[in-house]
Amino acid sequence: MQSESSIDPKVIEEILKFSKNVIDAPKLVSAPDEINLEVTPHKVVQEIDKTRLLHYKPLVETKYKTPLLISYALINRYHILDIHPQKSWVKNLLEQGFEVYMLDWGTPTSMDKYLDFDDYVNGYLDTSVEYIKNQTSTEKISLQGYCTGATIATAYTALHPENVKNYVATAPVIDGWKDTTVISNLAKHMDADKMVEVIGNMPPEFMYYCFSVLKPFEQGIEKYIKFFKNIDDKKYVDNFLRVEKWLGDTPPIPGELFKQWIKDIYQQNLLVQNKMHVGDELVNLKNIDMPVFTQVAVGDHLVSPECSMPLHYAVGSDDKILKIYPTGHVGMIASSLSQKKVLPEMGAWLSERS
Amino acid sequence: MTSKISEPQNERPIEITEYYKHLSLFWTDIIHLMSSKPQALTSIGPMRAFAANSKKISVELIEINEKLFEFNQHMTEYYKQLSDTWGVAQKKVNQKVPEIPQDVEQIESVKRVWIDIFDNDFTELFDSEKFGDNYGNLVSKELELTKHWNNITNVILQSVNLPSKEEIDEVYKEIHSLKKRVSKLELELKKEKRKNAK
Repeated sequence: MQSESSIDPKVIEEILKFSKNVIDAPKLVSAPDEINLEVTPHKVVQEIDKTRLLHYKPLVETKYKTPLLISYALINRYHILDIHPQKSWVKNLLEQGFEVYMLDWGTPTSMDKYLDFDDYVNGYLDTSVEYIKNQTSTEKISLQGYCTGATIATAYTALHPENVKNYVATAPVIDGWKDTTVISNLAKHMDADKMVEVIGNMPPEFMYYCFSVLKPFEQGIEKYIKFFKNIDDKKYVDNFLRVEKWLGDTPPIPGELFKQWIKDIYQQNLLVQNKMHVGDELVNLKNIDMPVFTQVAVGDHLVSPECSMPLHYAVGSDDKILKIYPTGHVGMIASSLSQKKVLPEMGAWLSERS
Repeated sequence: MTSKISEPQNERPIEITEYYKHLSLFWTDIIHLMSSKPQALTSIGPMRAFAANSKKISVELIEINEKLFEFNQHMTEYYKQLSDTWGVAQKKVNQKVPEIPQDVEQIESVKRVWIDIFDNDFTELFDSEKFGDNYGNLVSKELELTKHWNNITNVILQSVNLPSKEEIDEVYKEIHSLKKRVSKLELELKKEKRKNAK
């Protein structure tokens, strides 16, 4: 009886309020399926196999001659770079006066299991660059790669330096041996040959498992408690659902590409040693001689800073800059910090060179 | 020449499996040899290659049994690692929070301590060599099980005159190679046209 009287009435109040929020949630909040993640207007200007090249409509008069092509990651979809009008990477760049293109890798099916780095680098990416050069009558473009998209963009820039005027690498996956994340530990112990032989493409469910071991209690429990606690906060809920929807939508990765990525980057670490082959060509990072901007997040638990930073030291460019931001992998591209600091700095750097 | 195997003397799973594998192969082979001639009559019907297919399926099923044993070992180790880490983390929480929280603020701070300790300890586990090694083996055994399942499916597919996974893969490979050649030629052509237009 004594213990009953010692319970703080506020605790009961909190529990009741939380239960009410859980019950009210479906009345207050849209289902993730009802949310449209495409924020900034764009046109699909080229489609090859499952890939699409998006061209964003200018929001102000274009100030710079050199167009920017974004090579998004292989995991999840490009929507995170345009997740919300107030946090949109793309919108911010358009407002700064850049002409922006984005390469959407699409959703590979079983038929695409033989697609490899060569198809992505010398096929889809090169064809997109050629299209943009042709449409904008420019000789060179600015290229930005994010996460694994930066691994592809880095290989492309090393193999086709004549097409790239400026290169921005955002949280690039470069030095697999130095990566200190849980993902890299799992990748190092994975039998990629067997996985591709038996399954074909890397299934999305496997990626979801990998995500689930990243801060499992913060991300698996606390995040959802916070969501229900803040169910009345429209701005918070909207942002939460958008990011959740993005997190829950990852396409399969083509088998051969996945195999090469795991073996060449995480297990044998060939890229940073200038020993990786794409098609028949050797990728030498010293060939990257144009201006290079490397963006790294100190709290990145998907691609650790130690994995990304070696790019800065490996390239052959004299005009290069490395910036480390006090945020995480997603925070660097879709947060108020990215809007207030990361993008203005990138824009200023690009504008001087575009 | 015989490769007979004696009845298992003790109950070690591998020996029992070997015994039944031999037993099964012996009888399916004998039945196959005994029935091969009359079977020729049904060479185009659904019973075509029935004995040979049955043999393939029994071999796959026996091997699945072996793999299941290894898979379970890694699965047990996986949950043991999770459970041990949970136990250690909970002890750390108990040491840091010796009293039952009484009000909202205390509950909130206990929750924070719990999440921080559990996230740290589990991240340390997921980052360790022993976890990576066992997890790699677990996935590998799961893939081997899937491969046996695929093999069984292939036998069934071929018995009804449908292409197997390998045959479909050959087609995919061929299409990929052709598309690659065509797109490289198209790209080269575009580049050449652009050069000539200047």
